Amino acid sequence: MKDYSGKIMEIDLSHGSIRIKDIEAQLVRQYIGGIGFNARILYDEIPIGADPFGEENVLVFAAGTLVGTPFPTASRSEASAKSPLTGGFGTSNSGAFFGLQLKTAGYDVLVIKGKSPQPVYISINDEDVKILSADSLWGKECWECVDYLEKKHYGSEIALIGPAGENLVRFASIENGRYDGWGRTGLGAVMGSKNLKAITVKGTKGRKAHDPQALLNAVKKGQQLIKSASSYHAFTEYGTLNASIPYSNFKAISAHNFTKGTLPNWKEIGGRPIVDRYGSRHVACQSCIIACGHWVELSEGKYAGIKMKDLEITPVMSFGATVGLNTEAIIKACELCQRYGVDMVSAGGVLGFAIELYKQGIISEDDVGFELDFGDDEAAFKLFHMIINREGIGDILAEGSKRAAEQFEQGDKYAIQVKGMEIPMIDPRGRWSTWTLGMLTNIRGGDHLRCRNPVENLRFNERDEEYRKERFGFKQTMYEKLDMPEELKRKTIDLENDITYIPEMSKWAEDLINLYNSVGICIRPPVMEKVGPTIIAEACQAFTGIEFTPAELMESAERTWNLIKLFNLREGEKAEASKFPRRFYEEELNGQVLDEGKIQKVLEIYYQLRGWDPKTGRPERATLKRLQLEQPGE
Amino acid sequence: MDKLIYIDHQKCVGCATCEMVCSLVHEGICSPSLSRIRVVRYPTQAFNVPITCAFCEFPPCVSVCPSGAISKNAQNGEVAINSILCIGCRQCVQACPFGHANFNFDQGTAFKCDLCGGNPQCVEYCWTEALQYLPLERALGEKREAVARNMLGST
Repeated sequence: MKDYSGKIMEIDLSHGSIRIKDIEAQLVRQYIGGIGFNARILYDEIPIGADPFGEENVLVFAAGTLVGTPFPTASRSEASAKSPLTGGFGTSNSGAFFGLQLKTAGYDVLVIKGKSPQPVYISINDEDVKILSADSLWGKECWECVDYLEKKHYGSEIALIGPAGENLVRFASIENGRYDGWGRTGLGAVMGSKNLKAITVKGTKGRKAHDPQALLNAVKKGQQLIKSASSYHAFTEYGTLNASIPYSNFKAISAHNFTKGTLPNWKEIGGRPIVDRYGSRHVACQSCIIACGHWVELSEGKYAGIKMKDLEITPVMSFGATVGLNTEAIIKACELCQRYGVDMVSAGGVLGFAIELYKQGIISEDDVGFELDFGDDEAAFKLFHMIINREGIGDILAEGSKRAAEQFEQGDKYAIQVKGMEIPMIDPRGRWSTWTLGMLTNIRGGDHLRCRNPVENLRFNERDEEYRKERFGFKQTMYEKLDMPEELKRKTIDLENDITYIPEMSKWAEDLINLYNSVGICIRPPVMEKVGPTIIAEACQAFTGIEFTPAELMESAERTWNLIKLFNLREGEKAEASKFPRRFYEEELNGQVLDEGKIQKVLEIYYQLRGWDPKTGRPERATLKRLQLEQPGE
Repeated sequence: MDKLIYIDHQKCVGCATCEMVCSLVHEGICSPSLSRIRVVRYPTQAFNVPITCAFCEFPPCVSVCPSGAISKNAQNGEVAINSILCIGCRQCVQACPFGHANFNFDQGTAFKCDLCGGNPQCVEYCWTEALQYLPLERALGEKREAVARNMLGST
């Protein structure tokens, strides 16, 4: 088998030791890279029941296999650790240029163990790796630190935490430069618990391609595929905001902490027109041919002077819909999240939760110190700072909505989370789809980014009585061009009756996204519609020289998904945790509630498709054997 | 030389595809440090400027090269480094007014854009049209027309 040139750098902050290890080609074959490596390392290295803030937790960054090549969108790296928010596998994916620098410095994986006795940062310059004092940076917000570190470490990319991570806010993010981040599952707090403020990385070496011409051919094909996607032009222009209006039309947005489904004037607050009004240039991550990021400069109004990459659907929904802010305040909220280092979804979710507690009379002005209301930006930002600094009631809210809910009567009703993580954007009562089932099956908790139908239609929204199917809604050519094994495609999509089967599509979509997160490409819809395992196998083989078939890649992605599930089960995850907050089953939205029993049946079908026990959701022995994941002694 | 790599930095989104394609084509390695074309990024202004060889009519790199390794082709205007003759003195790197001519420490020789023999691959893979390989008259014609269209619109 061909040698694999990537290395693992392991830094133990307790002892200040640095070790560089080879990556066995066998590990690449079984886990590909990115999240696959992270899953294997976390499963092997973190003891059962470890304190997420303890010395035993391990924080891993892995750049995907294709990162640092011109393969379109191959910029993504995955950060993982045991999550302080969910207690399970914490993981988050980010683009921009950090992965490229890590790769060109010679590393695929950066493993951080232990805990430094005082604040430090890590500086990587090819083989030259140093652990340096961060005394002068501790307590400072991210943008100020990036300014300083960029000057000191010329040409470096920077991963860092803000005050939220330092203060162990359980939904703190790791920021990726100024405007990107590994947002979800509270990894910033893990970094903070290790007294690690930042990682700067600069590489000059690069990675030799096994067959440069074959790789260039795959790049060309990949570019052509993405450009031919039906959503390509809409995404180059409006980015992710394309979905904002359809979801609002379905009355399925997270408005006012999931109580309203839509808001008056939503199109003007959170739709595509805000890109025309506030956006200027487009901003791309490494090798991206979509450039969905918008550059925003506010020249007038209360928040004049803000300049940043912004106007993505997730923060727009989180602060515009959940908290009810106007567009300029949404932009300000994004700036605050980036500078102080918190996850935008959970931050919006926790603020929405607190505002609703206030509106319900469960907390009062005496508890907060001021009045709270949906749409009140000044109050929301005051509370935001109390959370970041763990002041007053902010100290309770910094624990995340699930833990905070335990402190208040009926609190759990208003904490809109699954497995401890605040859910984003879409209310499943307003729209039931592969996307919303994914919030329950997601290995990282209540989140939408690990299960997304590659051919999701945003024109139709008909609720199937049995929660089993959604409308396919496209022409035959879309069906034919979808890169999916024919037999599976026939089982998943019934073209004649215009049906997509949700559990079948969920399994495929989760494995496909896991493959993306292994090789380091992006899940934007034009990519998902067109880039399947076939072209990925071609590119990976050309680059690494290791032979992969499309089926093997999908199996590796499935192996990783199962290994992460095993991690969560080992940490005590129960089947009943795969459940929405009770509001969704009890309170009507547009005259609809969710039927828990029927959703359970769909979950059981999904578990069976995965080869998991239909009741407990535990992988069956035969499945583990097939995936070579058998536990010793079993 | 009537053709040039015409750079419209207003269109550049900073994706660096050109850098990775260039190093892959010339070195078989994906590495911006080994790319002939480089993108200068100003992330706090979303402003990106690709810089490559200007193919100067009076190239300082040729003038300072003590070993005759760099020459300008009188027919097609290309300025190329013959790595067999290169002694690795880095004079061309220092003389280049654009920071374009660069040095490969592994090989001990200088490198610069060679237009990929007349079919520059950075242009081929650039999806924004920030890079175009055009005859000068055509590039300038497009620029003049854009100015004129503006005037037309404003009357």
